[in-house]
Amino acid sequence: MSIAAEPQTRTVALIGNPNTGKSTVFGALSGVQQRVGNYPGVTVEKKTGRMTVDGKRWTLIDLPGTYSLAPRSLDEMVAVDVMLGRRPDTPKPDVILCIVDANNLERNLYLVSQVLELGRPTVVALTMTDLAEDRGTTLDLPKLRERLGVPVVPIRAHKRIGLDALKTALAETATQEQPASAPESPFPEPFQGEVARIEAWLADARPGLPPLPRYLVERLLLDTSGYLEGHVALKNGNVEGLHAEILAARQRLAEAGCPVPAVEAMARYGWAASMLDGVVTRPDEPRVTSGDRVDRVLTHRVWGTLIFVAVMALIFQAVFTWSIPLMDLIDAGVGGLATLVEGVMAEGALRSLIIDGMIAGVGGVIVFLPQIFILFFFLGILEDCGYLARAAYLMDRLMTRLGLSGKSFIPLLSSFACAIPGVMATRVIEDRRDRMTTILVAPLMSCSARLPVYTLLIAAFIPPVAVAGFVSLQAMTMVAMYAVGVITAAAVAWALKKTAFKGPTPPFVMELPAYKWPSPRVVLHRMFERGWSFVRRAGTIIFAVSIVMWALLYFPRLPESTEAAFAQQIAALEDQREAADDAEAVEAIDAQIATLEARADGEQKRLSLLGRAGRVIEPVVRPLGWDWRIGAAAIASFPAREVVVATLGVIFDVGSDVEGEEGASRLQVALREAEHRDGRPLFTIPVALSIMVFFALCAQCVSTLAVIRRETNSWGWPLFCFAYMTVLAYFGAMLVYQVGTWIAA
Amino acid sequence: MSSVAELPPSVAELIPLTLLRPGQSGTVDQVLGTGDLVHRLREMGLRRGAMIEMIRPGSPCMIRLDGHTLGIRSTELSGILVRPA
Repeated sequence: MSIAAEPQTRTVALIGNPNTGKSTVFGALSGVQQRVGNYPGVTVEKKTGRMTVDGKRWTLIDLPGTYSLAPRSLDEMVAVDVMLGRRPDTPKPDVILCIVDANNLERNLYLVSQVLELGRPTVVALTMTDLAEDRGTTLDLPKLRERLGVPVVPIRAHKRIGLDALKTALAETATQEQPASAPESPFPEPFQGEVARIEAWLADARPGLPPLPRYLVERLLLDTSGYLEGHVALKNGNVEGLHAEILAARQRLAEAGCPVPAVEAMARYGWAASMLDGVVTRPDEPRVTSGDRVDRVLTHRVWGTLIFVAVMALIFQAVFTWSIPLMDLIDAGVGGLATLVEGVMAEGALRSLIIDGMIAGVGGVIVFLPQIFILFFFLGILEDCGYLARAAYLMDRLMTRLGLSGKSFIPLLSSFACAIPGVMATRVIEDRRDRMTTILVAPLMSCSARLPVYTLLIAAFIPPVAVAGFVSLQAMTMVAMYAVGVITAAAVAWALKKTAFKGPTPPFVMELPAYKWPSPRVVLHRMFERGWSFVRRAGTIIFAVSIVMWALLYFPRLPESTEAAFAQQIAALEDQREAADDAEAVEAIDAQIATLEARADGEQKRLSLLGRAGRVIEPVVRPLGWDWRIGAAAIASFPAREVVVATLGVIFDVGSDVEGEEGASRLQVALREAEHRDGRPLFTIPVALSIMVFFALCAQCVSTLAVIRRETNSWGWPLFCFAYMTVLAYFGAMLVYQVGTWIAA
Repeated sequence: MSSVAELPPSVAELIPLTLLRPGQSGTVDQVLGTGDLVHRLREMGLRRGAMIEMIRPGSPCMIRLDGHTLGIRSTELSGILVRPA
């Protein structure tokens, strides 16, 4: 018997500037084996993958794209801590893989110089060499390797060229505990002297603690925001002492002609220039590429905007129309499964739990998938070919007025289809404040799930008359509902940027990457990645809430005597049907049975915990013009707002299957006939409007809240979102009802 | 801006980046502003000596820097003085 050796695992961390093709390299190395999560306590995405090198298992860690390793916040600290092995939740990387764009070596080498200073084994992967060649740039690779002192591997990840060489370089480098030669500091002598001085001071002030990595000591000196100072654990918390040391050091450096922080840019760009001198040759005249000519049209204020509107209209059309057959298919599949279970199981709580709780819950999750997949398929194409950055550039002027940037536009637009992909699409926004604001207002965009609510109530209560001869009042009401959401979102975004997310805006710089043909592999990969991350992360929460809501509607049961009375009547009718001879009579009896069953169901729902809750909250919803039935339907629609239509159907004794044209019209009739206890009609135009405004503004969608929880990595933000939207919805609905009633009177 | 172009080079040497005309290029000379903003701009490559070409003025404007096209808001660029080529 041989002792099976545990296959050695190694870890590599990927770092690079934005738009260097880092995600493509990550995808090409790890294939489909990847996991997306979150670093605890921050909003930074933790993306890990696996690959095999010479039979050994490797873990890949993808770090956020960045121009510089200069942490000024908790989020920016993550990358530095991961690479230095300072995070307990992440293994210390054996190698750092730095992705470098061959077209912009000066700026990319700025980051490389920081990475090399971390003192970890490093490999450089050079991407977009084909584009550099097209532009007439030539590179002396052996010379660059020699100067940098680390392997430099040219790759074309989307064509899988150079990946083997890259893996070999990683495997060879990983065996070194330290880099082959300690990198020379790019900083001038006086700066290095001050760093050594602070190192010595810290050694005294941190007895028993491992010395702070030299890179972090440098950063302490360079970080004028003071963030890192608060990050250092000191004996007796002598923060003032450290601060005084640093200020004194900066003073001396300024006098020595090395002002902080400017000295860093001078030193690193100087270093980059010395690395590249004689390595890169460029044509004297930059060639005008076909991409430049395309850009002249696509970023034009008029033509570019028109093309953008057309592209978005096309995508929306696809999201709405292409998804319908798929969503119907999923609906039918879920319905079929429910029928199957109904057939094989005896009636009872367990069957109801499986059908109405579990199957309906899972169905409620996966029914969103077609829209998510289609939207991310198109966004993936636009992103990969380089158009999405142009769209953000075009929309920036508009979004600046709300305190946001052009990068928020696509996520908000996506939210008209569904807030879930919209919230997920905010990952492209680097600025945390902008991203949080966008996430928090995205659910205010009228998503497709609000449509059934609008359609039902508009068809039932808004008279089909034309205003000014040609504009239908019904259509105008629909547009008004969308406008309510957009205007509220604008106001909330503006308010959030003035209060909770106030602060200096970081410079808005967006790279407009060179156009290229989208890679099907990358596009499909992104689409599935986002789809699955929704199912896995949000699915569990949605599933759990669906079961809770089921229980609230199922318990307690009707007393046996009531149930028996209904059963008896139905049985009697069934006997009559057996005896009936003509088709017309059978049909009439079937209709009676359906009415009875709907009534029994309605009785049960009224008795349930949720029905009782509706009665308890009736005083609260009365100012909105609602009675307890509408209140209960609103509570029941917490998991998903479109459920309110089915719930209204149950509560008003029509049955839950109101989706067919006939059912909807039966529900409309039932709603029109509904009365208060004193005989006044329950639904008036102000009441209908109040319900619509409530659903336009409320956060009745557990899937969205689950995705916000996943993206912000906290329960606080989804709770805040739910709270503020519910408050807005409540007062919005009250305003509409009160004003409407006053006008009508 | 034609008046600036007609001035002798010693006077017309430095202009704010935002005043470059479409297609005109220049070399970054000074980056002025608060410490953190300037530092971030430098990290992104807007450093002394960098070659910049204005593609589309306005806010945000489109510039070419080191062979890359960037969209930047003009408010951020007002402190960047360039020497027109």
